[in-house]
Amino acid sequence: MTSIIEVEDFSFRYRNASSAALRHLSFEVERGSFFCIVGANGSGKSTLCNALVGLIPHYFVGRSGGGIRVKGNQVADTSIPELSKHIGLVFQNPFNQLSYTAGTVAEELAYGLGNHGVPRELMEEKVRQVAALMHLESVIDKNPLELSGGQVQRVAFGSTFIMEPDILVLDECTAQLDPLGSEEIFDIVKRLNDRGITVVMVDHDMERVARCADQVMVLDGGRLVAIGSPQEVLSDPRTMDHGVDLPDFAKLSLALQAEGYPVDRIHTTEEPTVSMVKELLS
Amino acid sequence: MKIELQELVHSYPSGDRALDGVNLTFEGQEPVAIIGQNGAGKTTLVKHLNGILRPSSGHVLIDGTDIETASTAKWSAKLGYIFQNPDDQLFLESVRKEFEFGPRQIGMGQEEIDRRMERVADLVGLTGKLDTHPFDLGPTDKKFCTIGAVLMMNTQVVIFDEPTCGQDKAGNERLGRIIAELGRQGRLCIAISHDMKFVSTNFSRVVLMCQGKVLLDGPKDQVFSQESVLKQAYVTPPPLTRVAQESGLDRPVFTVPAFIEAVKDAGQH
Amino acid sequence: MAKLCVADGSGNFLDRMNPLVKILGIFSFGLGALIWPDFSLGLVLLLVLFLLAAVAGILPSFSKLILGFGLPVSIMLLFIQGCYSPKNRVIIASWGFLHLGLEGTLYAAKIVSTLLVFLGAFYIVNKTTYTGRLVAALSGIGLPAKIGYLVLASLNVVPQMEHRIKVIRQAQSARGLETGGGLISRIKAYLPLLGPVVLSSLTDSQERGMTLETRGFGIKGVRQSSYVKVDWRKSDQLACWLLLVFFLLVLLASILSRTGIYPFTYDWGGGR
Repeated sequence: MTSIIEVEDFSFRYRNASSAALRHLSFEVERGSFFCIVGANGSGKSTLCNALVGLIPHYFVGRSGGGIRVKGNQVADTSIPELSKHIGLVFQNPFNQLSYTAGTVAEELAYGLGNHGVPRELMEEKVRQVAALMHLESVIDKNPLELSGGQVQRVAFGSTFIMEPDILVLDECTAQLDPLGSEEIFDIVKRLNDRGITVVMVDHDMERVARCADQVMVLDGGRLVAIGSPQEVLSDPRTMDHGVDLPDFAKLSLALQAEGYPVDRIHTTEEPTVSMVKELLS
Repeated sequence: MKIELQELVHSYPSGDRALDGVNLTFEGQEPVAIIGQNGAGKTTLVKHLNGILRPSSGHVLIDGTDIETASTAKWSAKLGYIFQNPDDQLFLESVRKEFEFGPRQIGMGQEEIDRRMERVADLVGLTGKLDTHPFDLGPTDKKFCTIGAVLMMNTQVVIFDEPTCGQDKAGNERLGRIIAELGRQGRLCIAISHDMKFVSTNFSRVVLMCQGKVLLDGPKDQVFSQESVLKQAYVTPPPLTRVAQESGLDRPVFTVPAFIEAVKDAGQH
Repeated sequence: MAKLCVADGSGNFLDRMNPLVKILGIFSFGLGALIWPDFSLGLVLLLVLFLLAAVAGILPSFSKLILGFGLPVSIMLLFIQGCYSPKNRVIIASWGFLHLGLEGTLYAAKIVSTLLVFLGAFYIVNKTTYTGRLVAALSGIGLPAKIGYLVLASLNVVPQMEHRIKVIRQAQSARGLETGGGLISRIKAYLPLLGPVVLSSLTDSQERGMTLETRGFGIKGVRQSSYVKVDWRKSDQLACWLLLVFFLLVLLASILSRTGIYPFTYDWGGGR
């Protein structure tokens, strides 16, 4: 396996900030993997996302150290639009992600393609595909500014991955969606990941992280405090000391173990937990 | 205080109905969660409780008085409403001023404001930040600033729109403490939420909405047992409840201790 | 935003017309009226514009604009130029100390008619052109992407801000602020709200700017393409030629007339 993102001793402090947002981070993301970043609010997750797509250092002013390489490109030496061919970011607030130049959802979806000079016929084709994938067909001719929060988030999502970046960075991108809506998005993300797209995701829903991730990284105060498989990281009670919840399944396993039940493994996902409880009851 | 919704209908200019004949009563101090899909009409519903939106037909009665008889600003002395986006709500230059604004509008005396200030600041975790500009707060603190500003008004009812949106573990726990405290003070808390874990840990009554109608209304263990109706409204019960259901436990559970208890009981039979 | 027609440009012939031709139309009409020796051409073009507005189905709002703006401006200019222009020689009417001069009146008529032709043509084009098509057409002939963005974004930001103000007003009334009632209480209620609206739209636009770059905005060495289809039809070609020929004829006639080679326009006794 090869690394698609390499972060080496990366630190960043926003200008005028009293302390560093990220401190000496070193890690690698493998090509095609599903990489989750968890941590309390203010632990540096969004800052890291911004650094991966080049908004740091090109947009946010501050002092940085170390380096980040995305598909071999040093982020600090590559422009944001140039990086956008390789790595796409979906932000928390979908409304600020609209281009505000499009009169229709179709134009909004096509906006990034236009910037990269994709011919019109190909654009139409891709807009059709993405609209179908994101269930946006019924609103395709509507003004994006007239849609509901959930619909706008789907538009924002669609307009990022229509550019087919090799890496998708998702920064709590389902906050505006209801459970079904976010599950739909995650199904799509999962499918894209299965097709080989690398996913870097920030999320508070630990059950989902446990289910989807290949790797989980825990940030606390801008420092990397744990990294590993979800099984390793999310079954460890010490993770909670960093302001991160464990999946309810893990908490249940731990509590049953503490009560003296024969639990040989701390489960982090639903199905094994159900089997375990069934076994205990029989 | 008693809030009654009678045959409440709210239609858009297009003729579509956001609320399609809702009958509900909110009373007492047991916290109520309103759940359902985006577009089910949850926000439209709660915006009627203090008259931000007015019924197209039907009635909203507060202690028997029709909502139509006064402005939202007047109702704000009785019902506090915390908007989903803090940026819509905050506009003053310090947290302290935000906290003082609402109470002053409804004519609360300075002494009472000062007395409440400390307690509310402590409850929302902003004790050391009263003189900070709200714009300099992080997203979590900003949200708690809007909550504090409404709690300061000491209203009998407090309405939350998606309070857990963007919150982490610590934030969710603090919200839980605030809701419990409101209950202890005999005040009614009504919240819209997508977060079923949050709903099942902190609320006793759950109202399920779908396409402008109320599908279920009752104690949470009853609502979360109605698997087929929940499915119809695209709602999944919280994780522990699902595990309990799937592994054949005899009752709905929502917390780890309750789960252990149920396992113990099952073992004894 | 001005969006009376659908994105693919169906609808009446003005909707379908290529935006570039329409812009040419504004200049051909406006400049034509400007260089013509007197106000007569402007008047004729104004009538043509009324006809076009009727075809586009926007006659009521067009008339309102022309009359609402045109009448007061005409009266004002007529008063200033007609009574006080130093060019006045021939007096056509007198009321006590006020003397209405012919030269000034003609000059005022010329200015007003030219102004209204420009204004009316611009209004019709604005109302019948989907901004996205306009920018796409302009980008097609080399308008920098950043300018196109500015045009489109500023048009879109206004409704968005209106929406925000509405929500913020709701949020404040829920905190006990009276936002209804008389004018004074409204102004008192709105003033404190301006701060957050402006401040948050500033931070929003900063965030927006950076998200655009992550979608490839401002990439170097790539010719941008557009999803919005802008055709160049035969009718556009024809209209283009007609407008150019019209303008050249007007130009020729004006030169002939002004140099005195062939003063075929009626000599009103002024207007130069």
